[in-house]
Amino acid sequence: MTECRCFGAVAHYKPPSTDSNPTLEDPTPDYMNLLGMIFSMCGLMLKLKWCAWIAVYCSFISFANSRSSEDTKQMMSSFMLSISAVVMSYLQNPQPMSPPW
Amino acid sequence: MRSCLLLLPALLLLLTLPDTRGRYNDDFDDGEDLAEFDDNDFAEFEDVNEDPTVEVESEPPPKPAPSSIPVEDDEDEATVEIEDGQDEFEDADAQDQDMYSKYDKDEFEGYEKTNSPFKDTLIYQDVPAHLQNSWESYYMEILMVTGLLAYIMNYIIGKNKNSRLAQAWFNSHRELLESNFALVGDDGTSKEATSTGKLNQENEHIYNLWCSGRVCCEGMLIQLKFLKRQDLLNVLARMMRPTCDQVVGQIKVTLNDEDMDTFVFAVGSRKAMSRLQKEMQDLSEFCGDKPKSGAKYSLPDSLSILSEMAEVSDGVMDSKMVHYITNHADKIESIHFSDQFSGPKVMQEEGQPLKLPETKKTLLFTFNVPGMGNTSPKDMDSLVPLMNMVIYSIDKVKKLRLNREGKLKADRNRARVEENFLKQTHAQRQEAAQTRREEKKRAEKERIMNEEDPERQRRLEEAAQRREQKKLEKKQMKMKQIKVKAM
Repeated sequence: MTECRCFGAVAHYKPPSTDSNPTLEDPTPDYMNLLGMIFSMCGLMLKLKWCAWIAVYCSFISFANSRSSEDTKQMMSSFMLSISAVVMSYLQNPQPMSPPW
Repeated sequence: MRSCLLLLPALLLLLTLPDTRGRYNDDFDDGEDLAEFDDNDFAEFEDVNEDPTVEVESEPPPKPAPSSIPVEDDEDEATVEIEDGQDEFEDADAQDQDMYSKYDKDEFEGYEKTNSPFKDTLIYQDVPAHLQNSWESYYMEILMVTGLLAYIMNYIIGKNKNSRLAQAWFNSHRELLESNFALVGDDGTSKEATSTGKLNQENEHIYNLWCSGRVCCEGMLIQLKFLKRQDLLNVLARMMRPTCDQVVGQIKVTLNDEDMDTFVFAVGSRKAMSRLQKEMQDLSEFCGDKPKSGAKYSLPDSLSILSEMAEVSDGVMDSKMVHYITNHADKIESIHFSDQFSGPKVMQEEGQPLKLPETKKTLLFTFNVPGMGNTSPKDMDSLVPLMNMVIYSIDKVKKLRLNREGKLKADRNRARVEENFLKQTHAQRQEAAQTRREEKKRAEKERIMNEEDPERQRRLEEAAQRREQKKLEKKQMKMKQIKVKAM
């Protein structure tokens, strides 16, 4: 078998730019991040416990779907915000959450 | 109980004693002689007003009543011992009622005689749930935390499974890749292109591998797109829709310019072909016809072909290629060869793009991992023959050359596409050119205005005027030439 490797013609890896194909990128982590922040703010301002819990879930889902190149600070701030929303709503009103039915 | 009955009249008597009278005396002190007051229980109420007299009238009844009580008690003493204690209570109640009924009703405002005033209207409030010593009331919170824990568990399990699958794939393909490529594994971070020898993890479900250093190809990017096993929502969605996508390995081979002739070709499952024809820029432009059946080349019915011309199909589908495709038809999603590859169609908001999108000579392979989601690391071995097919395709495409007719046809196709594109964007390009010219003029004018030296300003203005004059003359010349030609 003839040698087909060409050590001189090695090309460096160029990560595909996101500008060229924005449709191929998965928008889930960004949407979940945004949703998480909105629910956290609702939970904090309107003192709604279920909003705060949904915010925690949203930040978890965003973390699970995130790319490794994404900033961890963004993830951490989203987490902290949602957890603080839960804690604050329980401090203000220690009653257990009532189901909607 | 007898002592209670005795206490009651005693209390009443105390209320009417002279001691208390002393206090009232102070109230009625103005202008009255103390001596005039009899040593009478009711002297304080004399000469004041009628209300006290009313009170005086109401006072005596309690006096005889209490005095009668001991008599009654004496009478009842004998009976009380023998009879039930209830009689005493009945008598006490009766006495109470009698007492209140003998009082003047005007004295008591808002008082309504009721037999049992407070028994029915007592409301027992529940102890607030958070003060109860029970966790049961927090069942919703416990549910939420359980859900979170389940999500975390699924994340860890899914991530590990994907990682194991990726490693299994790499282990089974490593030898083949290292024998064909000088550089296997490069994450693009280091300055020099050195072989890292491992997969590049982009996500918890996407792994990349860049191979380079081979004759007739610039490089090969392999992307292992696994299912999102780390996301519980995705897992549940997959349970609902069992016909979800399988794990996909997308291999993009970028060829050097001289390594590929001008043609566009694709073969794959029917569904994938119809989807690609709509989505891909080059397939929609160059392969306008519907996907054809591969029966001519004895391919299974599940596969169809999209080709620029029949000669291309004949050239690509040689016996070995047909053999590969037929044996692994269930794993092949799509195979796409193109010299005009520019990715999927880009939807521009402001109309068409002004320039033709950049094209690259590319071979794209999309394979499905068998197992329909329940993949095990052992299944990765079955993809090795497909990688062999990829290597074979690279060599084949380099050797494949169209004959003269085919080449002419291909060139005409490309010219046609370019012309269409230019026509569509003509208006926009004109507008863009106009705006650019206006910008230039404005910039020049600004420069002239900003110039402080008046002499220089004048000179610049003159130069600009001369330039404009020249342009006008040129245009006029052109128009004349066109008219002459037309004639």
